[in-house]
Amino acid sequence: MADESDDAKEIKADYTRLRVPFGPVHPALKEPISLKVTVRKEEILDVDIRLGHVHRGIEALAENRNLIQTLYLVERICGICPHSHTTCFTQALEEISGINPSERALYLRTLIFELERIHSHLLILGLMSYEIGFDTLFMFCWRVREEVLDLFEGITGNRVHHAMNTIGGVRWDLTPHLVEKVNDSLKKIEKSGKYIYDMFQDKTVEKRLCEVGVLSYNEARELCIVGPSARGSGVSMDVRRDYPYAAYSELKDSFSVVLRDGADAYARTEVRIFELLESINLIRTILDELPNGSISMEESVLKLMRKIPEGETVSMVEAPRGELLYFVKTNGKEGLRRLKVRTPTFINVLGLKPMLIGGEIADIPVTLASIDPCIGCANRITVIDEDKGETRVINSENLRWRGKKQ
Amino acid sequence: MARKETVNTLVALLATFPIVFFLSLLFEGIDRKIHARMQKRIGPPIIQPFYDFIKLFNKERIVPVTAASGIFTAVPIIAAAVSILGAAIPIANLIAGTSIVGDLILVLYLLVMSSVMVMIGGSSSGNPYGAVGFSRKMTMIIAYEIPMLISIASLSFNPCFSLAYYDIVSTQIRMKSLLVFTRLSMAVAAATFLLCIPAAADVVPFDISEAKTEIIHGSLIEYGGPYLALIKLAKAASNFALTFLAATLFFYLPVLFEGYVSLGLGGALFLCLVTALIFMLFTITVPRTIFARLKIGQAFKFYWLIPLALSMLCVALSIVGL
Repeated sequence: MADESDDAKEIKADYTRLRVPFGPVHPALKEPISLKVTVRKEEILDVDIRLGHVHRGIEALAENRNLIQTLYLVERICGICPHSHTTCFTQALEEISGINPSERALYLRTLIFELERIHSHLLILGLMSYEIGFDTLFMFCWRVREEVLDLFEGITGNRVHHAMNTIGGVRWDLTPHLVEKVNDSLKKIEKSGKYIYDMFQDKTVEKRLCEVGVLSYNEARELCIVGPSARGSGVSMDVRRDYPYAAYSELKDSFSVVLRDGADAYARTEVRIFELLESINLIRTILDELPNGSISMEESVLKLMRKIPEGETVSMVEAPRGELLYFVKTNGKEGLRRLKVRTPTFINVLGLKPMLIGGEIADIPVTLASIDPCIGCANRITVIDEDKGETRVINSENLRWRGKKQ
Repeated sequence: MARKETVNTLVALLATFPIVFFLSLLFEGIDRKIHARMQKRIGPPIIQPFYDFIKLFNKERIVPVTAASGIFTAVPIIAAAVSILGAAIPIANLIAGTSIVGDLILVLYLLVMSSVMVMIGGSSSGNPYGAVGFSRKMTMIIAYEIPMLISIASLSFNPCFSLAYYDIVSTQIRMKSLLVFTRLSMAVAAATFLLCIPAAADVVPFDISEAKTEIIHGSLIEYGGPYLALIKLAKAASNFALTFLAATLFFYLPVLFEGYVSLGLGGALFLCLVTALIFMLFTITVPRTIFARLKIGQAFKFYWLIPLALSMLCVALSIVGL
């Protein structure tokens, strides 16, 4: 007992340690996440990560709605990769009900998917340069991104939430005029993409990114890190190649998985830049090989929805940030019994701790941006008791118990 | 007659303070506009800093509970006062056509003083980010201030120069040449001084002490309203003073014009301001557009490798009489 209190005193007297709250509100964070960082001078000794500031209860909400309503609800999980979420969800529904969308619909899905990847990667490349204080590159990346958003608007009518997917197909078709427009824009984006790559090889940028936030191959494997963050550490995984969905099985020769061994923030950034260029090539192939046919089922979506039987399935897509997984369990009465969303950030956040410890304060924003976190996607039920200062995470068992009680 | 002139000079000297206030904010506005245009943005109107100043001044004064309120509130006023004074002295000297020995040291001291004041304000705010900002700014001051001071002090190593501001300007007039072209050592001194301006002005790549995405503006974190307005004014004034010093000490352009006298005081001042603006463009606007922020260690290493070595070279060259 006496020893313990002595220890406590010793820690109290350690004035060289400073506990810096990083977030939930911080200019480097686009979404609220809270890092409690213990530092000695500039070195990071320990990190405590807290999520739960933007929990929206979407999974619970989905269980009270019909499937079409849920389709538009899951689109709202993320404002950057909404198409990934809807694709994942519709795929699950189609698997349960045995609907096979037409080839053309699958190709169009893939097209939007890759455009979304370009837009998401440009966004994070911009943010990355903003975090290292390179505002000009930030402005440039986002200017290029406008090009993609305009394409979305041209194709689907919406810039952010495209609402492209529907059960059994897609909602909008490509006209020859649009194909030409996409091709024109791709040329511009490719040119800018190469320019961005040159810019990232600038000395001051390299100085800030190399050897920062190192996550070794083994750590990445152990923590099951996904997406570009994993590929930056040399883990060869890509749902598009490993478990092809949409039109990827036909297109598997038109793209390659970008791998880097650097394991630092620079490697992860490089992976994104090259994936962006890969996506451009992939879209060109899609436009060339676009099959003819209808884009959706003849039956109305409501009729299709009513036919969906009771069943459960797991669906996976490679969102721009990594593997996105849905568990869908329908109740056979137009609704859902359970929806479980596992977003890439939810897993990648775990990688932050090994990345941050041993680094400097100046590296926190860079490291955070290098995993491309989407906090809104990753929040789970967390009860924060402000008065007691307690945080409780409610797990599934606890939830079930609460459900019984009601 | 003589008395009338004295009165005129006195009025002109008193007018320098509002002039400095106006010019420094105008310079900041131009800097922001050019910065925006280089990023293909439209950018704020050139008089935006004036709007900001007025708006901030009409806002609520907030002093955090954790702050040492006396220091916290006094510091912005001192910072603004010293940097405006520091910027006004060179202009007043040009107008009056005379100066006291050692006023260059005073000007540099006043400019550092304003940085130190902001730093102290940050550390008195009781915010951990303020403390980190304090330690970073301290490191930066040690890094850039030594080469900067040496480059100015090396002016006095030359036989006909002293540490009086107007002496150096009048020597340039007498020799009908820019100071940088008179001697090799002076060119090196000018290079050192210009290299130190980005750090002294706290801009990217050396804005480490108030890195927005890392430590949320460091020392400035708890400041708002009139206090922030004063600190912004202090920064604008000290940036203006630094570029104006560089423009007049090393590159006193009016001497290049044949009829120097016909140019008049107004013309000469205008020419100096244009030179200062160009220097601001190259030492503040361009670096913050084309570079990413360095880390504190990298910046420190840069300043102790290149500018410090340059300043040492400058002293060595001066001693051998080059």
